[in-house]
Amino acid sequence: MDNGIIQLFPQQYRAFWRRTAEEQEHIQEIRLRAGRPVILHRKGREAYLDEKGELTDLYSNAYVMEEKMLREILEHICHYSPYAFEEEIRRGFVTVAGGHRVGVAGQAVLEADGSIRTLKNISFLNIRVSHQMKGAADGILPVMYRKGSLKNALLISPPGCGKTTLLRDLIRQVSDGNAYGRGAAVGVVDERSELAGSYLGRVQNDLGMRTDVLDGCPKETGMLLLLRSMSPEVIAIDELGSDGELRALGQAAACGCRILATAHGEDRRDVERRFGLQPDYWEKLFDLFIVLGKENGKCLVRQISERGDGRW
Amino acid sequence: MVKVLGCCMIFSGCLGMGMWYRNQMNGRLRALRSLRNILELLAGEVRYGRDTLPECCGHIARYLSPPYDGAFRKIGGRMEENTGFSFGEIFREEMDSILKELPLKGVDRECFLDFTRQAGFADSQMQLRMIEQGVERLGAIECRLEKENGEKARMAVGLGAMGGLMLILILC
Repeated sequence: MDNGIIQLFPQQYRAFWRRTAEEQEHIQEIRLRAGRPVILHRKGREAYLDEKGELTDLYSNAYVMEEKMLREILEHICHYSPYAFEEEIRRGFVTVAGGHRVGVAGQAVLEADGSIRTLKNISFLNIRVSHQMKGAADGILPVMYRKGSLKNALLISPPGCGKTTLLRDLIRQVSDGNAYGRGAAVGVVDERSELAGSYLGRVQNDLGMRTDVLDGCPKETGMLLLLRSMSPEVIAIDELGSDGELRALGQAAACGCRILATAHGEDRRDVERRFGLQPDYWEKLFDLFIVLGKENGKCLVRQISERGDGRW
Repeated sequence: MVKVLGCCMIFSGCLGMGMWYRNQMNGRLRALRSLRNILELLAGEVRYGRDTLPECCGHIARYLSPPYDGAFRKIGGRMEENTGFSFGEIFREEMDSILKELPLKGVDRECFLDFTRQAGFADSQMQLRMIEQGVERLGAIECRLEKENGEKARMAVGLGAMGGLMLILILC
């Protein structure tokens, strides 16, 4: 099966989207908003589509998304069975073949307790194109190991700077083994299906031959479940978001697991500020902080700080 | 002797025609039962598995007998290939080729295929209701046919036999 983004569109619109699909390699996001121009995030810049589906930089030539097309695209993505994607829609995104993620937004229908029951009148789609960049982690591999043993590492960056892509490749290389360390069993808790891009239970991205994936499970619960069931040597999670998750990581580390994680933030201090835990907790947990950034639209490693003999 | 043999052949031919007609009427009834059974299986898959309609088609294929099993496998397979055609289009296309071979009427086919026009409900109960409506409508046709067919079938066989006797009398 072809996993290109053209598969996301119904037959009657494929001619329009063909040009976009040809540019898949360079596209990060496709923003569809009913009654608004289609915006592509391509090579770090915004571009529009004209009436014929060709890329243009001119707003005046931009094609305005019709509500009907948006609705039919969503129906197609949901295999004409949106009821089967109720949970995904409630969470706000649907993962599709190829590991691409379609974010949805519209009118929220709430339960009596204020939780979201579902979304209706969906008028906004954000297609996040999955890119597996094999070799993305080559540059940081030498610092990831000490005498053949993997260090606990936290990758930090603002959104869109490639931390998930980097973590994905790191998992693959740690799992398969590389020039600096032997292959290790990696347990991945993929709460938002972004790392493995699981679709119908099948992993779409290559995460290595010794990797077990727990898809769609809350990270905190998932890490403990993996520890009990799969005895991983390394645990990897994307987007560390709460004290509970950090504590679960601590438990995994106490069980002898190595840890790979990512967190949103400008730098280490910024991440530490967002959590309620003491700074020394971080120092005990992680050996390595890798801060990523962007320059001229290119993602790069800005800073690597490493713990040496108990001091930073 | 030849005359008696000829009379027997005329009689059995006419009786056979009556029985063939009865069989045709029962054929429609059997086909309706099969279609209702398919929709019930589909509803069951939606209700308990919460799977997508294409997945449900793939799943129920294993419970069906030819020619339906192949068609449902094909629907599931074509949807997985993701050629861009909608579920309704593929379902109708695949089923049309089978349904036209069966002794069904237009209204029977429409009752069966109607739920594909309104696939795409966000609520599984609504989707189920659409499929169950098809089940109910097919069931109603089946019920009516069963009542009518009993009398019609007897009449067809009787007319066949009497027609044969009349022909023998005329010819003799």
